[in-house]
Amino acid sequence: MKLPPFAYRAPESLEEGLELLAAGEGEARILAGGQSLIPMLALRLARPSLLIELRRVPGLAGVHEDGSGLRIGALTTELVAERDPRVRAASPLLFEALEFVGHPAIRSRGTVGGSLCHADPAAELPAAALVLGAELTARSLARGTRTIPARDFFLGPYTTALEFDEVVTEVRVPAPPSSQGSCYLEVSRRPGDFAMVGVAAAVVRGGDRVLDLRLALSGVGDRPRLLTRDELELEGQDSPEVLFGQAGRSVAARIRPPEDLHASAAYRRHLSRVLTERALRTAFERAALQGGAASA
Amino acid sequence: MRPRVPAERYTGASVRRVEDERLLTGRGTFVADAHLPGMLHAAFHRSPLPHARIVAVNTEAARRAPGVVAVFDGAEMTQMASPVAALGAAPGSGGPVSFGILAMDKVRLVGDPVALVVAESRALAEDACELIVVEYEELAPVVTVEQALDPSLPAIFEELGGNRLFGPEVKVFGDVDGAFARADRVVRASIHQHRHQNVPMEGRAILASFDASSGQLLVRASTQGVNTTRQMLAQQLRMPLDRVRVVAEDVGGSFGLKFGASREEAACCAASRALGQPVRWVEDRWENLTVSGQAREESFEVEAAVTASGLILGLRVQMVIDSGAYPGFAPLVVDIVREMIPGPYRLGALSFSSSGVVTNKASYVAYRGPWAAETFVRERIVDLVAQELGISALEVRLRNLATRDEPPLRMVTGPSLAGITARESLLRAAEIVDLARFQERQLRLRDEGRYLGVGFATYIEPAPGPRQEGGEGNTEQVRVELDRDGLLLVHTAQMPHGQSHRTTLAQVAADEFGARLEQVRVMVGDSQQTPEGFGTGGSRFAAMAGGAALHGARRLRGKVLEAAAQILDLAPTDLDIWRGELVGPGVPGGGLPLAELISRIDLAARSGQLPPGVDVDLTATEDFDGGESGWSGGTHCCVVEVDPDTGLVRILRYLVVEDCGDLINPAVVDGQIRGGVAQGVGAVLLERSAYDPEGQYLSATLMDYLLPTALDVPHIEIEHLSPVRLDPDVNFRGVGEGGMIAAPPTICNAIADALSPFGAKVLEQHLPPARILELIGATSA
Ligand SMILES: Cc1cc2nc3c(=O)[nH]c(=O)nc-3n(C[C@H](O)[C@H](O)[C@H](O)COP(=O)(O)OP(=O)(O)OC[C@H]3O[C@@H](n4cnc5c(N)ncnc54)[C@H](O)[C@@H]3O)c2cc1C
Repeated sequence: MKLPPFAYRAPESLEEGLELLAAGEGEARILAGGQSLIPMLALRLARPSLLIELRRVPGLAGVHEDGSGLRIGALTTELVAERDPRVRAASPLLFEALEFVGHPAIRSRGTVGGSLCHADPAAELPAAALVLGAELTARSLARGTRTIPARDFFLGPYTTALEFDEVVTEVRVPAPPSSQGSCYLEVSRRPGDFAMVGVAAAVVRGGDRVLDLRLALSGVGDRPRLLTRDELELEGQDSPEVLFGQAGRSVAARIRPPEDLHASAAYRRHLSRVLTERALRTAFERAALQGGAASA
Repeated sequence: MRPRVPAERYTGASVRRVEDERLLTGRGTFVADAHLPGMLHAAFHRSPLPHARIVAVNTEAARRAPGVVAVFDGAEMTQMASPVAALGAAPGSGGPVSFGILAMDKVRLVGDPVALVVAESRALAEDACELIVVEYEELAPVVTVEQALDPSLPAIFEELGGNRLFGPEVKVFGDVDGAFARADRVVRASIHQHRHQNVPMEGRAILASFDASSGQLLVRASTQGVNTTRQMLAQQLRMPLDRVRVVAEDVGGSFGLKFGASREEAACCAASRALGQPVRWVEDRWENLTVSGQAREESFEVEAAVTASGLILGLRVQMVIDSGAYPGFAPLVVDIVREMIPGPYRLGALSFSSSGVVTNKASYVAYRGPWAAETFVRERIVDLVAQELGISALEVRLRNLATRDEPPLRMVTGPSLAGITARESLLRAAEIVDLARFQERQLRLRDEGRYLGVGFATYIEPAPGPRQEGGEGNTEQVRVELDRDGLLLVHTAQMPHGQSHRTTLAQVAADEFGARLEQVRVMVGDSQQTPEGFGTGGSRFAAMAGGAALHGARRLRGKVLEAAAQILDLAPTDLDIWRGELVGPGVPGGGLPLAELISRIDLAARSGQLPPGVDVDLTATEDFDGGESGWSGGTHCCVVEVDPDTGLVRILRYLVVEDCGDLINPAVVDGQIRGGVAQGVGAVLLERSAYDPEGQYLSATLMDYLLPTALDVPHIEIEHLSPVRLDPDVNFRGVGEGGMIAAPPTICNAIADALSPFGAKVLEQHLPPARILELIGATSA
């Protein structure tokens, strides 16, 4: 379990990093917190010729907030993001999702950008990013800066819309509507493990009714997908309870969960239904506390 | 000697561990911390296939790789060393099977070592391993017991003529047919214990250093006993015993894995001898999980003859053990399971059939409480009997447990049950958990859709167990010696790897001799000094080594007092050793420090001032068999809540009521219990050594083999019962294995109780959430 041979560079500027990445022609990799990449090297599942660590590049880490939402630098560690009161206030769903990522020791190294770029189908942050309508800023020498909405970013297991020469520099999380409540729930084998099933849910509430809902699940497919009311084909204006039950069944019918050592496909399907219902119900209840109950 | 009050004794107090400061501040020295000039590093090229014939091994490219010093394949290694069966491989354990230190003609499991690369660093050695090309002819893998018994599948060892290793061997105790004839009912169950394994923090590791000029092999080992390692290495390397010295410093856990020397460790010694340079191998986690060894995979067909009132008259048991690829420890396990299955119960009749098979999985090794299956099967059967008869499980246990005043106080398989306190422990556990109140609450919460359950398991642990016929010579040897600095050196063959021996043995010796704790040094881990004894295992430490140290210190104290009396011209009975000084009326200055006393004895002896017959050899060697000390034991009780929507199990309460005799160090005892319970929690809820149907190993990282963390282990309440003291001097008993033996059935019984409204029948030990939902019928199996 020793790493295979590779070269290592820690450039001082993003431009230099982008040059190295482009010159690597797909054989170079960005090293962020290393919490996913290093284990992959140790198991010799990845063999990049060059690792480019960006920790010396100024300006890639940090949380900013303006009225329209949060901007989180890609190299912000998961722990710094989690402990930032602005994240907790402006995006309770992201905060809740961060708390489920590994353990504090992992989060003190792992980065928000790294988790999204790694695109583990069981990871929390991709699912949260989808429900929150997050956008990723990507930079490359060849194409300059482009913005990729989260719903176009995740293409498959460990596969994203990034080109080999692109670096994610920032994640933007728009402020949620004030009548929205959210909830992240998951079941894992142990606290801190990747989820067998995780559910990110957001509900926009008007009085006793559900105006809108958005869901994304982790651990149940090749990638998290955004599921809206339309995509779930939820009909009518039934009571929230009936709607959540419908949503749970609809999710369970739509997914093709994997089978592994920790859970059968049937178990994951079952959990998806249970957790979807629970997460939606909690999100709905929280929306009332946000003032959603009044703003019918 | 002035009678000591408890407050003046180290024994019985939670004396702070002398090991702690060094280990907790990172100053321990494990094999990975050991370096020698010119040291090389080993890595193994291992089989990716579970079962295949080796057609060709090409090591050319690896030999030319950067930093590589040597590569050895199976054929070359055979010239250098030959394997011996693992410890415990009894005669009849599959007869003579032949295999190489490295695989030669065949590979028999994923991870089987095929070639050894020695290079300037472990990373370079691993790089070179990837360049080795092996041509295989794949054979059908034998993964399950059913497949092992299928004659159409290829034999893993051709000389066995199949994959049955031994058995079925049937032994009968008592009137089994009579018991079944008298029974009102027969309760039947197929009970399975799943494969899981030892995962010590430090895996297997060795630093072998052969000195060509003296012909000596010096080995720095990670082992449970240097003598056994030395013997097995000498045998495998075909070297005279006196040419091999084995030294061990800190050992980062083992749980039964590190007895003797593995094939890989022997290969590293052979390589060092061939190259004349030190070779170090520190197994990585993948190797540890995949090939070091696994345990516990055993299945049982059980029939219990019971009366309507819940008396268990007799058992018929058929046990099959899956021994994995290379035969070793399994036959020994079967013998202990058979002997121990009656436990502390008055079971009158037992028929026990046992067989073993080989499969293309990791070899069976000892794991903390190797015979634990008997407790699991028995305690599960007791609950199943209760369930079928509609009586409480507590009632069935009480009806069947042996009582000390009711003869014969003896298991139907032979061993005496003298001194057991099983019944007291059960009653006390039921009292603490307040069973009646709990059951009210349980019923109330069920109406709210919440499912709580309570489970008990009662066990005994041979620690070391009663004296048995033919057991003569089964002793621990301790040599106690006073050095010229006035230090009391206590030499033992015990090899601490987490058990705190350096503290607890010192407590016993210090009290008995009259020394201060700081004056005692527990000397372990050097085959040049270590007394006879196979090492740490089988809960032999407290009663056997502790007892030997006690008697040794006592005898040495007598010698010292005798000599001192001569020198000072006083009566020995007027003298005492207290807090490391000779004291008594007439002793100059009111007290003579030990170092000074020793130099005076030495001077007197050398100048002929002592009368003949005064023994001035200030050492005492004692062998002790544990005395009348016999069983540890107790009852565990667990309360769980099962979420029927997710299958998650939460342990709400965990309680241990136990008796391991007199406690040498209560904090250490509690630590042993907690560690064992943690492993039991792991076994039931998390840990499984899983193979896919093709024989590929699925649990090869710690993201797949799930160990319990601090967040998964509940608070464990512990109460110690006051013991029945049968020995005049030594009433400490071992406590290393009980936690691990009793926890799995306790937790499974609690889960089964919680699931009883669903009509679920729990017949296995591993109950992850996905399985719980299958059991209650929420998802299909
Ligand atoms: C024990 C353990 C438990 C864990 N548990 C969880 C868990 O429960 N849930 C979870 O989601 N994760 C978990 N993780 C993973 C953790 O969250 C990782 O930190 C994260 O997935 C990757 O972030 P990183 O900064 O460490 O990225 P790295 O490991 O450094 O990189 C991961 C990948 O992303 C690429 N990359 C990183 N940053 C960028 C960037 N800015 N632009 C372009 N590409 C980039 C790298 O090239 C690499 O391919 C766990 C990790 C460990 C070790």
